Amino acid sequence: MFANRKTENIEKEVMDALQSARRQQPYLNAVVSFLDVEDAIEAAKSSSGKLAGLPIVLKDNVLTKGIRTTGSVAILDNYIGAYDATITTKLKEAGVVIIAKSALDGLGMGGTGTNSHTGLVHNPYDLNRMAGGSSSGSAALVASGAVSFAIGSDTGDSVRKPASFVGIVGVKPTYGRISRYGIIPYASSLDHVGYFTRSVEDAALALEVLAGRDDKDMTSSFREVESYLSNLNGDLSGKTIGILGNVIDSIKNKETLEIFDHLIEKCVTAGAKVKVITMDHKLLQTCLPVYYIIANSEATANHSNLDGVRFGMQEWGDSLEELMTNSRTKGFNFLLQKRFVIGSYSLADENQDLLLRKAQKVRRLLVEEFKNTLAEVDVLVAPASSDVAPLLTDKSADQLSARYLIAENYMVLGNFSGYPSMTIPMGKINGLPIGINITAKPFEEQVMFDVALGMEHLTGCKNMVAEVIV
Amino acid sequence: MSFEVIIGIEIHCELKTKTKMFSGAPVSFGLPANTCVNEIDLGHPGTLPSLNKRAVELAITACELLNCKVDRLIRFDRKNYYYSDLPKGFQITQQFHPIGKDGYVDIEVDGGSKRIRINRLHMEEDTAKQFHHGDVTWIDFNRASTPLVEIVSEPDIRSGKEAASFVEKMKSLLEFGDISDVRMEEGSLRCDVNISLRPYGYEGFGTKVEIKNLNSVNNVQRAIEAEIIRQSEVYLQGESVVQSTRRYDEASRKTVLMRKKEGTVDYKYFPEPNIPPIRISDEFYQRIKDNLPKTAEQRKSSYINDLNLSEADASILTSGKDLADYFEAIVHCGAPVKNTANWLISEVLSVANLRNDRKFSDWISPSDMADLLIMIKEGKISGKQAKEVFADMVNGGKPKDIVAKKGMVQVSDEGQLFTWVTEILNQNTQSVEDYKNGKDRALGFLVGQVMKLSKGKANPAMTSEMLVKELSKR
Repeated sequence: MFANRKTENIEKEVMDALQSARRQQPYLNAVVSFLDVEDAIEAAKSSSGKLAGLPIVLKDNVLTKGIRTTGSVAILDNYIGAYDATITTKLKEAGVVIIAKSALDGLGMGGTGTNSHTGLVHNPYDLNRMAGGSSSGSAALVASGAVSFAIGSDTGDSVRKPASFVGIVGVKPTYGRISRYGIIPYASSLDHVGYFTRSVEDAALALEVLAGRDDKDMTSSFREVESYLSNLNGDLSGKTIGILGNVIDSIKNKETLEIFDHLIEKCVTAGAKVKVITMDHKLLQTCLPVYYIIANSEATANHSNLDGVRFGMQEWGDSLEELMTNSRTKGFNFLLQKRFVIGSYSLADENQDLLLRKAQKVRRLLVEEFKNTLAEVDVLVAPASSDVAPLLTDKSADQLSARYLIAENYMVLGNFSGYPSMTIPMGKINGLPIGINITAKPFEEQVMFDVALGMEHLTGCKNMVAEVIV
Repeated sequence: MSFEVIIGIEIHCELKTKTKMFSGAPVSFGLPANTCVNEIDLGHPGTLPSLNKRAVELAITACELLNCKVDRLIRFDRKNYYYSDLPKGFQITQQFHPIGKDGYVDIEVDGGSKRIRINRLHMEEDTAKQFHHGDVTWIDFNRASTPLVEIVSEPDIRSGKEAASFVEKMKSLLEFGDISDVRMEEGSLRCDVNISLRPYGYEGFGTKVEIKNLNSVNNVQRAIEAEIIRQSEVYLQGESVVQSTRRYDEASRKTVLMRKKEGTVDYKYFPEPNIPPIRISDEFYQRIKDNLPKTAEQRKSSYINDLNLSEADASILTSGKDLADYFEAIVHCGAPVKNTANWLISEVLSVANLRNDRKFSDWISPSDMADLLIMIKEGKISGKQAKEVFADMVNGGKPKDIVAKKGMVQVSDEGQLFTWVTEILNQNTQSVEDYKNGKDRALGFLVGQVMKLSKGKANPAMTSEMLVKELSKR
């Protein structure tokens, strides 16, 4: 917890965080680079910022000037950030001390934490399980107690899904609420800066620091940033909570449904009105393919700058074309290459009508349907995953599978629409956490936080920390 | 047998903005390589484009001057291809929704007027500049992301002469519109020509050849004329023209093959997700329309009608914006119109041509030039003296200082002139006698003597007049 905190010994707090992250590293493998903290500690001591002295972790797709920023891909392994991302600047101004850059599924592509160039990231609750992704390292380090705040990014559900798997709060605010300038992209129209905390209050405070208009990001919003923390109100009475029926229907795991139902009953007792809403089922089944096509099309173009010519890993060749081909072949693993091929195929002139343009049309239909669904309620909720974190040996994750087509992919609606969406823990199954996802109307982060706080009171799942056996 | 020539022209024109199309880095020409770049221009990870508002203003101004319909919803697209001069691996351009469409310009050819339709005008960013030395390539990213408009004509042009007139007209409109400095030799205006031939009466089009990188208006005309001959010969030999890109070789005065075009490249265009569509407000649009810069034609007719200059003088003065601006600035400082025009056309332009420098104000400020012209008009210095003063002004002197330093002030005071005239007449009785005997040449000699005595300061016209008067009394 860092909201309303009083810092007594910045140096000790930071060094403790750094030490525990270092101790956990052989087990979690969550960190790409540890940072020198001396200068930042000195700066923090004289800071009057909202987060003065708070040790934090950045996902390694957040640009840091003069500090290695790899995006967890080989082609950027030697890349030193040429500038600070807007949020890096904002966080420094708020007085944080960045202790580490965390591992992700390369370039944000993936949801397992098994696709980083530095190896697998492990779930602190069970080292044999996935932490989820793509913001794997950041999620693991908040859940392990090393830090209480870490930055992630969310293109499909890359903050909200790992939050569910490691029992912490994961927030993705409205598109445009936080500047994307200086975040290595995945897919520009779907990318959001997100973050992890262990309490709803911390999440509210964190957004105050991160949000705001940035002229360097034309999609960032001019709306004023609210005082989310001081306005926070966990009273659920009078709140209308919509349950996304399609998700419930597609979950076969009884324990997940029991925990969810139990929480909903408590919400009713606390005065909330609850409504089950069902979206067009067939339309909802398009979420994954639509996401795949749009995200990979944009990603293919977004990452055309990684060509080995100006920066990053360079693999020599006899011609410019060879140099680019060799650098990209060696610099990206098979999964990334596969996604680029899908993207390139969808963008090809002869395929665009059938793939990219069609996917964009369906995206608009989905958003329209989602908007209507939210119109009658304050928030829309559903389990953030159908089950607890999968085992690292589970090869079905990240594959196109009909098994949980809706339950495992519906959270991408938050990215299609840009609506604010967050996951908080709702309980544990056999000692492993599982979360609930809460989505609100655009720029209604306050409503989202309020309901989340009300639910946090009911679940008691606040400030949960995994015991990493070291 | 001769053919009908079908020509369309694409113009890439760098906009006169302080900063880049999508970044805050300065736009420059001729500065040391890679000094005007930031992380956005270099395509570093995580960077995002920020649209330059001034570039949009200039593009809309260009649309208005070219009579294009303006799309009030500005949208950008990505053009994807891998090349070392394209840092992001895509160029941000306006493929699907160009800001301007369906315009036209009227050009002068052989005393007549012809309308050339404009297909589209769109905004985009320039690429980096490459220098190939043997097997090494140097890249200067200063040019990367410089704002451009691309203007595409309909295939309405029928000869090299028309093409030259079209390019000349576009240069004039874009220069006087303050949109670009249109320097073809520096690449701030670049011209690609598409040309095909067909038998007269045939409705379809022949195979198109593109001629790239034409660096002057003359070369546009010459390249087209050479290409017409080449294609005619190909057809007359019963062969077919190959779709290709060629360049013009000045030495041989022929077009040379650069590459054959095999099929079309798929640039995988799609809408740029980082720039949301921007609605041009009525106020913004109206403000641009209300403040459209005057074209060369408008200025020329005002010189003729309002300033009573001859058509020939007005044409020369509006041949370039630098000159027209300079002319107006000097007149604005109070200099007489006709003399200003004469001096600019004869003296100033010849120096400018020698120096190959048209930034007139940089070497003589308009107010200094006006001072000089006013001194001539007020009879303070003679025309001959003025030329001497002008020569020194070119090297940085102020006209009044030069006149004072050289003691050049012309004496028009009748008392002083009378003293000099009397002295000379008294000293030269033989000349007085000659004059009386009808030898007119003697007057010239006497004027010369007065000038000599006055060290050149005597007003020659007044001296001559006074001598005639005094001689008649003797």
